[in-house]
Amino acid sequence: MTHTQKRIVINRVVMTLSTLSAVIGIGFLLWILSVLVINGVDALSWSIFSEEGAPPGYEESGLKHALIGQLMIVGVATIVGVPLGILAGTYLSEYGQKSKLAETIRDISDIMMSAPSIVIGAFVYAIVVAPMGHFSGWAGSIALTIIMLPIILRTTDDMLQLVPSTLREAAFALGAPKYKVITQVVYRGAKAGILTGILLGVARVAGETAPLLFTSFNDNFLNTDMNEPMASLTVTMYNYATSPYEDWQKLGWAAAFILSMFILSLNILGRLFIMKKKS
Amino acid sequence: MNTTIDRLFANTTKIIALAILLIVAWIFATLLDHSMESLKAFGFDFITESKWAPNLEKFGALPAIYGSVISTFLAMILAVPLAIGVAIFLSELAPAKLKSPVGVSIELLAAIPSVIYGMWGLFYFVPIIRDVFGGIGISMLTAGIVLSIMILPFMAAVTRDAMNTTPDILKESAYALGGTKWDVIKDIVIPYAKAGIIGSFILALGRAIGETMAVTFVMGNVHKISIDLTAPATSIPVTLANEFTEADTDLYYSSLFELSLLLLIISFTIISVAKFYFLRRKRVA
Amino acid sequence: MATIIDITEEKALEVKDFEFTYAGADAPSIKKLTMPIAKNSITALIGPSGCGKTTLLRSFNRMHDLYPGNEYAGEILFKNKNILTSKEDLINLRIQIGMIFQKPTAFPMSIFDNVAYGMRLQGIKNKIELQDRVEKALQDAAIWKEVKDRLKHDANGLSGGQQQRLCIARAVAVEPEVLLFDEPTSALDPISTAGIEELIVELRERVSIIIVTHNMQQAARVSDYTGFMYLGELIELGKTEELFVTPKEKLTEEYITGKFG
Repeated sequence: MTHTQKRIVINRVVMTLSTLSAVIGIGFLLWILSVLVINGVDALSWSIFSEEGAPPGYEESGLKHALIGQLMIVGVATIVGVPLGILAGTYLSEYGQKSKLAETIRDISDIMMSAPSIVIGAFVYAIVVAPMGHFSGWAGSIALTIIMLPIILRTTDDMLQLVPSTLREAAFALGAPKYKVITQVVYRGAKAGILTGILLGVARVAGETAPLLFTSFNDNFLNTDMNEPMASLTVTMYNYATSPYEDWQKLGWAAAFILSMFILSLNILGRLFIMKKKS
Repeated sequence: MNTTIDRLFANTTKIIALAILLIVAWIFATLLDHSMESLKAFGFDFITESKWAPNLEKFGALPAIYGSVISTFLAMILAVPLAIGVAIFLSELAPAKLKSPVGVSIELLAAIPSVIYGMWGLFYFVPIIRDVFGGIGISMLTAGIVLSIMILPFMAAVTRDAMNTTPDILKESAYALGGTKWDVIKDIVIPYAKAGIIGSFILALGRAIGETMAVTFVMGNVHKISIDLTAPATSIPVTLANEFTEADTDLYYSSLFELSLLLLIISFTIISVAKFYFLRRKRVA
Repeated sequence: MATIIDITEEKALEVKDFEFTYAGADAPSIKKLTMPIAKNSITALIGPSGCGKTTLLRSFNRMHDLYPGNEYAGEILFKNKNILTSKEDLINLRIQIGMIFQKPTAFPMSIFDNVAYGMRLQGIKNKIELQDRVEKALQDAAIWKEVKDRLKHDANGLSGGQQQRLCIARAVAVEPEVLLFDEPTSALDPISTAGIEELIVELRERVSIIIVTHNMQQAARVSDYTGFMYLGELIELGKTEELFVTPKEKLTEEYITGKFG
């Protein structure tokens, strides 16, 4: 066999292996997805949305408590985290630019985006839960806000930097003060990108479980007082799935399905915004 | 008037941006502060002691560290070749009709929360491990496999992106010399994208070692160092997730905080290496 | 309607009724093109952007096969074989027909490894043979003196002109029979361009050369034959001095006098 023939054979072998690994990898992921959809759709019913949690074996049980808790915890984190993140990102792109301080903040934020979220839970436990003496929805929101901040900050920073500087210069040339240039011209130019950043940021924290385990903790019943322990879809899912009761496990799958669909929709929506911007 | 608002706006943004640095410093300081009791009681022994016995007020982190290292190592061994395979398939092999839908699905799967991977692992993978290897199915091996599946989409997507940065003209030049697809991938594409690929692997490693939910379901939280991969084990995040709300003494709490601090330092270091040595941000000119 | 002179020399390649259609396109980009390529001479392809000259060039080593869905029809004869039919011989075809691109394409490896790459692909492992042939190729490409003390350095540290010479060295190192140049100086400064042109003329001794250029002066300076293409067709092929001084076709005349293009 000549060297070239040998290369052709090796090429075929490697390409087959690569296709095979793609099939294996994609196969696993399809497996997970189908498990999620089959179990989730099977467990869905109206009572999921209308009923609260109940002891195992109870007919009338649902996830209303967890859905509302989830919306409140994530909602508060979004209301606080988004404006703070956008303003901090504005500083990096419009004021700090390439300064040492701005670069340091970028680096630290990049690292924080991949840092273990359970550690944020421990931190919030120490500064909020322990002094207050009890778990609370607020504590959960604070943990999620800390996780969301660097994501919003970095996407805002990136998106604002994409706005052409000629646009800023044109506005300055008309005599506009900087804050007006930023809020009226730059933000408008980066709207789609920032919106995508927000959607992805919300999607990311909505799936967090670990930082809620010992901050908002859990509650098997409906509670709308953020000062009290609060159910979330993720923690409920964890508790129900690890319980030995079949009906609870089923509710766990329903929660997993609802949460995944929510997060996937946010991701798809975010992509559509960016794509629309590009075309 | 305008200048006052201008200055106010500028300063507000600056203060909030600085707050990020403050929060990170605060996290380190708080964890260190709450670890003091454990640090005083055990000192350096904390990370070399293999006994974790809350009832005896004895806390050694070695089993958790061992579990974190081994489960992450297993995950990387399984995920790295798969990720490279998927990336080669997506960037060089797949027909145009498949490239985009498969690529987008992989990216979307990277967004699925890790708790879902854990749940799938518990209900569908644990029984398989039990049937194949015996034992209870809840084990280090299960954790490693579930973890590898969880980080696969992220790794494959980033590896593909890194490979796609290779200019077509460079690849064509190698084909023009008579290279096969594999010659071009191994001699041109991989060397060209090396920094990006290694960086993304290390970043995935940093994420995997701090991952909680994907492994909590399937690892067992057993503080015992065992060579047997099919035996239950624990990791730092698994210990935290299982025991934080159960800690009943100050020393127990403090030990858990020291574990948190340890995990944060490990992840911070790994992620920094990935970021600073391999994934240096390209500056927007 | 096209004017194509008879070539008396031996032919390196013969294009017969060649058609090429890009994936998804309704109409072919090259239509029924027939053209002889003389051996050990330089043939330049000129014409306005989009006339199909680069498309034709990339058919000679079947670069189009890298992207799915492209279609060939007709024949391109090389050593009495139609290169468009043999599927698995692509690798051998490309070893015999080398290519130089618009931009320098130094591989991410050392200067030495760049030049040795093609030979290693062919299985040459002998260190001394590799060293000899790398040195010879670098000398042929007139860059040996500049790089002989830094063969182990990263090739990307060289200037643009040097990198293009390196790519030529890499291509001639495997001793191809035909070399395809796709606007090889379009990314270079005038001095480097002059050097590359000189080199191309010297290489004619050993290989048959086809060069696509957007620069008519370059075609006039370096080539023996010039083909003028327009809208996917070969309008005129002639001896370079004749084509530029006394074009037979009206379109050719209009193009070389700058009436369009």
